[in-house]
Amino acid sequence: MAEPRSPVSASVPHTPMVLPTPEGPTLEMDPMEYTLRKRLPRKLPKRRNDVYVNMKTDFKAQLARCQKLLDAHREICIHGLGLAINRAINIALQLQTSSQGALQLAANTSTVELIDDLEPEDPDEAGEPLTRTRNNSAIHIKVFYPNP
Amino acid sequence: MTGAKDRMREKKMKNQPRNVIYTSSGRGTEGGQGSQACGWVRGHQPGGHSYSQDLPKHITASFFARARAAEVNAMLKAVGKPAGSCHIFNALPKHMRRRAMSHNTKRLPRRLREGAERLAERSQRAPEKEKKQLAKSRSRRARRRHGNLLLEFNRRQRKNKWLETHIWHAKRFHMLKTWSYCLPLKPTAKSFRASYRAMNTHALLQVTLAFVCFVIANEDLSYYCCLELQGSEEQMLRALARLTSKQTGPTFAAASCLSGARQGSVHLYKADQFPQGSLGPADFLWRPRVPDASDRQLWIWIHPALRQDVLSELQLVCQCFEAVSISEESCPAVEPYAGRKRKRDEDDAEQLSKRLLGNGTRPAGTAVRWHSSDTAITISDLTMEIVRYRLIGPLAHTVLTDTLRPASEEMEVTKPSNHSTDEVDTSVHQQQADIFQLLRGVGSTAELPAGCVLGLTVDDPRLTLPQKRGKSVPDLQQSAGSRCVFMQMNQVRILAGPEILSLSHTRSTVSLHQKDSRVRDLTLRGVAAHCSQSTLWDASVRDRVTHNRPSEQELNRMRSELLVPGSRLSAAAQAGVPVLLVHQGGRVRGEERLHWGSGWDLMLPKGWGMAFWVPLVYRGVRVGGLHMSVKASQFTGQPHFPHDYPDCPAGQRFQSEQEAELLEKFKRRPPSKRTNYIKHGCLAPFRCPWQQLTEEWEELVNLSAETTSDCGTGPSDFAVLRSEVPRVGRAPHEAIDCSLSRSAVCHMISRCVCRSLKALRQLSAWCRPSSRRNSFPLTRATAAALRQECGRSLVWVRLRLLGKGQPALHATVCVPTTSDLQLLLKDAHSSGPQEPRHKDHLKHLRRHTSGPEEPACAVRGVWPPPLPSVLSHCSRLTLGWVQQGDFSLAAGHGEALAFISVSGLLHMILQQPQEQRGVVLLRNPSSLQYRYARISIDI
Repeated sequence: MAEPRSPVSASVPHTPMVLPTPEGPTLEMDPMEYTLRKRLPRKLPKRRNDVYVNMKTDFKAQLARCQKLLDAHREICIHGLGLAINRAINIALQLQTSSQGALQLAANTSTVELIDDLEPEDPDEAGEPLTRTRNNSAIHIKVFYPNP
Repeated sequence: MTGAKDRMREKKMKNQPRNVIYTSSGRGTEGGQGSQACGWVRGHQPGGHSYSQDLPKHITASFFARARAAEVNAMLKAVGKPAGSCHIFNALPKHMRRRAMSHNTKRLPRRLREGAERLAERSQRAPEKEKKQLAKSRSRRARRRHGNLLLEFNRRQRKNKWLETHIWHAKRFHMLKTWSYCLPLKPTAKSFRASYRAMNTHALLQVTLAFVCFVIANEDLSYYCCLELQGSEEQMLRALARLTSKQTGPTFAAASCLSGARQGSVHLYKADQFPQGSLGPADFLWRPRVPDASDRQLWIWIHPALRQDVLSELQLVCQCFEAVSISEESCPAVEPYAGRKRKRDEDDAEQLSKRLLGNGTRPAGTAVRWHSSDTAITISDLTMEIVRYRLIGPLAHTVLTDTLRPASEEMEVTKPSNHSTDEVDTSVHQQQADIFQLLRGVGSTAELPAGCVLGLTVDDPRLTLPQKRGKSVPDLQQSAGSRCVFMQMNQVRILAGPEILSLSHTRSTVSLHQKDSRVRDLTLRGVAAHCSQSTLWDASVRDRVTHNRPSEQELNRMRSELLVPGSRLSAAAQAGVPVLLVHQGGRVRGEERLHWGSGWDLMLPKGWGMAFWVPLVYRGVRVGGLHMSVKASQFTGQPHFPHDYPDCPAGQRFQSEQEAELLEKFKRRPPSKRTNYIKHGCLAPFRCPWQQLTEEWEELVNLSAETTSDCGTGPSDFAVLRSEVPRVGRAPHEAIDCSLSRSAVCHMISRCVCRSLKALRQLSAWCRPSSRRNSFPLTRATAAALRQECGRSLVWVRLRLLGKGQPALHATVCVPTTSDLQLLLKDAHSSGPQEPRHKDHLKHLRRHTSGPEEPACAVRGVWPPPLPSVLSHCSRLTLGWVQQGDFSLAAGHGEALAFISVSGLLHMILQQPQEQRGVVLLRNPSSLQYRYARISIDI
C-alpha cells in the first residue's frame, strides 16, 4: 500500500478553501462550520477463514469463533484496524497459548486509507461538501499449524 | 321452580290468540284433588273427571259458535299465514325434518313443496347473489382470454392504480389499497428475518410509487410521485426557497445537489410559514446543466399522500395556474401504445382493452402540466411516468452490475439531428459505462458518497436473464485491483516463501494499480456531474423507449430461433434503455451502524418495470413490501412518512385512520378479554394527544419557573415540582376542567416537530451522558434560551433499551425519579420500577350511563374523550410516546423511535446527574413494568 498520502481532496476542484500541505496534521477549518461524517473502511474480500475483529462484539465470543475456525482450517487470518489492533493481537496470542505451542503466528501490518465526509453546517450555495482521507494502521495476523 | 313454570306457561301462551286466557284457578282446584296432580306433571292427566262438575247440560249452537268465532278466526289466520322460511319447515313434525330439505325441495312432502320453491326462488333473487351469477354466466375460458382479461384488469384499476409489477406482487404478497394505489404490504411467505439478512448482507428490492415506491432487498417504489419543474434556475430557486428553510439543513439550492451530481432531500413547509405548516419530506434531483439550454429541470419525489398538498403549494409559489391541456401535450398516456394492443374482433371493446401504463386511469381532461407566463416555470405531474426500484443492502451494486449491461450502441437511442452532439453523447456514454464497470470493484455500497447519481443507457436486461435463479456475489478475482494487490502482498509477506511468488500472481500489477486508483477516485469524489446526465430526463425519449419495448412474445420467438439454444440473444438495434442510478446513503446520522441500509435506486421509463424486475429477482435479491420499508426506516432510525409525521396533514390523516383501525381491532375482542387500559394507566393507547402533551409541559415548566424565582435557589426546584405533580394527579375532575379550558385557549397554536439543526445539535450534545465536546455547555440559561425557541415542539429521538424489554407502538416515555436512577446505579441489570395498578373510576359511571346516547363512553377499558392531564396521570411524568418500537435485529436489543416534548426533555436533563443524562423510562400500553432506556438524538 505504498500510495502517496492525500489528506484532502475537495469534491469540486475550484473550491475557495485553501488546501493545506500534505504534512499538515489537521485541516485549517473552523470545526463549527462542518459536520464530520466518517465513511466505513473499505470492505475487503472475505474468505471463510478470515476474521475481522471489532470492538463491539464480546471478546470471548470472538476468541471462541477463532478457536472454532481453527478446528476446520489449518490457518486463519485475523485482521484488526485501529483500536482493534490490540484486541487482534490479544486474540492471536491467546490462541497460541491455549494450543500449547502447536500454533504459529505471522504478523503483518499495513495502512488503510479512510474517507471522511465534511458537510457544511451552513447550507449555503457557497458551502461545498468536502472529502478528506486519512490513514489508519491495520494488522493482519496469520495463525497456522506449521507443516510437519 | 315457579319461575321455570311461569316461563313455560308464557311460552305456551305466546302464539295463542289474545282472547284466550290461561287461568290458574283451575290448576288450584286440581291440586287439591289428587296427590299426583300437585308438583310438576307432564302430559295429559289421566281421568278428566275433575272437569265434569261444571259441564253445562246443553249448548245453544249459535251462542257457542259466536263466543268462539274470534278465537277460531285467529287460529285459521295463524295457520294460513306463510311467515318466513321457518314456517314451512316448522309445519313438519321434528322427526320428519331434514337439513337437506332446504336445498332439495323434493325431499319435502308434496303439500309443502310449492311454498318452499317460492322461498328458494326469492332468496336467489337477492341483489348481491344476482351479480355473482351474472359473472359466472361467462365461461372461464372466455373470461381468461387476453383481451377480456385486460378489460377486467383495467376496470379493477379504476379506483386504485396498479404498479407495473402488480400481478407479480399480487401472486406473492398481501396487497393493501391505500393512497389510491394497490401496494404490496408483505409477502405471504414468512420472510422477516430473511429480509433483514438481505438488507444486512446482500440486497433487498422495493418498488416506489411514481409518487413514491421502494425495494428492500428489492422494493418497488414506483408509487412515489414525481413532480417536474422546468424553468430558469434563478426563478425556480427563488420560488422554492419559500417552501424550505435553511435551518432544517440543505435546501434546493445546496451546492452539491444543484450541479445534478447528488440527490438531495428537504422538508417542505407551506409557503413562508416555516416553523408551522409542515407538509412533508421530499427528495429532489436537478438535471445536470445541458450546454446549450438555459432552462433547468428539477424532479421532486414525494409520497402520494402528500401530492395534493405539495402540488397546490408549488402552484402557489411558482404562480403556475394555467393548466396546459392534455390534448396539447405531445404524448397523452393513451396514444403511443396503440401498436401493442391485441387485435380483437369486438371493435367497441378495442379502445379499452389496451394495457394501462403509467397513470392511465387518470380521468380524461385532468391537467398534468401547469405553466406560468410570469415566472416561465412549468410544473408537470410525472406520477407513474417513471418506475423507481430501490435496492437496499451492501451488495446492491453487485446485483446491478450483474443485471445491467451498458448498451453497445448508444447512438440509436439519443438520435439527435446534428452530428456533433452525437459524438459528445457517445463519449459521455463511454465514460458512464466505464464508471459503471468500476462499481464492480467496490466492496460495499456504503463506500460511495451518499446520494451520487449515475446516468446510464443499458441493454434490455431480459436478454441476459440467467437460466436459473441464483445469487450474485462479488467476484473475488474480478474485484478491484487494490484487493488483489492487498492479497498478494499479504500472502507474499506472510508466507515469505518462494513458492508463493512463483504462483501465477504475477499479474500486470501496473494496470491493477491504475484501476485501483480510479476506484479510489470514485469512492472519494463520487460521480462527476456530466456523467449524471441521462436521456431519461427527456420526455420524448422516454416515450419512444416505452413505445419501442419488444414484447415478451417477440423475445421468446427470438429465443426459439437461436441456433444454439440457451445462448445469449443479440441486442436489437434500438434497444438501449436510459436509466438513472441514484445512491442512497442509508444511515448517515448518528454514530451507530453507520451506512446501514445503503443502496441504489433504479429509475426506469414506464413500461419497462417488469423487464427489469424479473432479472433483478433472478439475481437473488429478496423482495420486500411496505411493511419491510417501515422496518428498514426503523433500523436506520429515520422517521417514515406518513407514520411519523404528526405535524403534517398527511400524517394526521394517517393517525386518525390508524386510531380507527386499532379501536376496531380492540372492539373485536370479547369485552372480558380486552386490555383494560384505564387500569394500566394508559390514557391514549390508539392515538397520542401531542397537542395536550406539549401544552401541559409548557404550563408545568412555566409554573416551576415561577416557583423557583420565588424561592430563589436552584436545588429546591425539583422538590417543588414533585410536590406539585401528585396534586394534579389526584384530582382528575379538576384536570379535566383545566384541560378543557386550555384546549379552548391554546387551540390556535399548533404543535410542530423541531427540525432546526442548531437546536437538534444542542439537544443531542446535552443528552449524551458525558459531553466530550463542551461547545454547548448545559446551563439553566442556555436551556431556557432553547426552550424559548422551540419549547412547544416535539423532537424525534431514538431510545435504546438498557436491559430487557420490547417496546410496542404508543409505549409511554417517562421521566425517571431520583430513586429510579439510584436503582439503576446500584444494579445495571435491574428490570425497572413498576407502576401501581390504577383504579377504573369510570366503571360505575359507565354502568349508570350506558345508554344508547353515549356509545363512545361504552368502550370498556379506554378513557372517554376529554382526557385528564396526560402529563401526570401515572406515577412518572410523561415525556412522549413511541412511534415505532420493536426488538431490533440490527442492534440486538429493544429499540424504539419516539417523539418527546422539548421542554419536557430540557426539564429532565437539567435534573439528572451528569453521568446519567438521557436515561428515561419506557412502559408499554398493556403493561405496568417500566424499563430503562437511553435517549439519543441523531443529527
